Amino acid sequence: MKIESIRAAVRFAGLVLPFTWTSGSLAAQMRATAQASSYGVSVSTATVNQKSPSAVLPAGEMMATDQANAVTVDGLVSAQDAFAIVNGDLTDGSGAVSSATLGAVNILNGLITADGVVAMASSTVGSADAEGSSLSNLVVNGVSLSDPAPNTRVDLPGTGYVVLNEQIPTSGGITVNMIHVVLQQPVLDLLGGVTGYQTVGNIIVGSASSSM
Amino acid sequence: MSHLRSLASVTAIGAIALIAASCEANRQALAPTIGAPRFHFFVFQCQPLKMTGGGRIDFPPGTADKNPPASHEYETFGAHVMSSGQTDANGVCLADKGALEWIDHRPEMRLNGSPLNLHATEIDFAELAVDTDCSDGAVHWGGKLRVQNNGQENLDFEVWDCDNGEPGAGHDGFAIRVNEPIDGIGDYAVMCPDPDLPPAEPSCTLTGGNRQFHPTH
Repeated sequence: MKIESIRAAVRFAGLVLPFTWTSGSLAAQMRATAQASSYGVSVSTATVNQKSPSAVLPAGEMMATDQANAVTVDGLVSAQDAFAIVNGDLTDGSGAVSSATLGAVNILNGLITADGVVAMASSTVGSADAEGSSLSNLVVNGVSLSDPAPNTRVDLPGTGYVVLNEQIPTSGGITVNMIHVVLQQPVLDLLGGVTGYQTVGNIIVGSASSSM
Repeated sequence: MSHLRSLASVTAIGAIALIAASCEANRQALAPTIGAPRFHFFVFQCQPLKMTGGGRIDFPPGTADKNPPASHEYETFGAHVMSSGQTDANGVCLADKGALEWIDHRPEMRLNGSPLNLHATEIDFAELAVDTDCSDGAVHWGGKLRVQNNGQENLDFEVWDCDNGEPGAGHDGFAIRVNEPIDGIGDYAVMCPDPDLPPAEPSCTLTGGNRQFHPTH
């Protein structure tokens, strides 16, 4: 009888414990993924790692802002009138709205220009969208582009490529990068032939993320 | 018969009392002073509330349609307010905390070489509006702000804030008025007083973002 009781207890624990572990870990995972942030300009290469202005919603707070009249990374990007704003409540399911706005933007010495960038990411429990995001007077490699559709890719010969109005669904939210330049270098074989391309850096202008 | 007459009399008295009560503004707080008649944001209650989020407005005209991007005729903001529903000795619905960051991107609103940037320094009042078409909740709130472009401080402002369901774009509303002239700008307001313009005038319709209302602190 005693052995049977122990076996029953073990079986019971084996049935119950996974559920308690799962719900606890799931709750922790949900808290861990709730976030809201935005930034004006980000440059990451082998020699540069810069992000400005940047706003991240802290736990327990409901607003974060940052601003920069001008952002310059020599030879790579310059931007004017950059604002990053995040507002919301991540702890009670209220959701959050992140925005990054910029004025005149110049990337890679005029390869890409725009005079108005708005990145907006809005999320509540069960929904997320990028409504309100826009690009004004965008010119890519000499070609004017009006209101590019989400995730529009344009190749930049000799440089890499750019993704415009990049919208990335995340767990419970969305990340919006209005101009995302992927810098690439060719991979050469022993004879100097190009066998592919490798990413050597990223330039992002106007980014907003929000998830619940 | 006499019973019926008594009942009719009581009913009539009750009806008159109800009509009289509804004619008075059920307001226990600071009143907005817009000159034109309004159909919304006129009846208020003091109760616990919270409104969070931010967004974008394309004003003018402040409808659900975005202006052409090249026009730069848009505003972006982040704002929240919380109230526990308490009042002060004058009956003003007190706000517990809040914040406002407002950017006007219109070229004609640039001040000292930058987009007009308003930053709230204190949030004083917040009252629940109970006469709007905002399905989830509406709040009239305000306080004082600073003009970041030139440092001008202690300007009174008020906001008409509307959560009209999800998504916020095309449904929610927001309006702001600074009640004192801004140096270099003059009178400033982003308001949409058209009673036919959803969701609830004078709030303008969001073209991006979201307002989230909670009926609790």
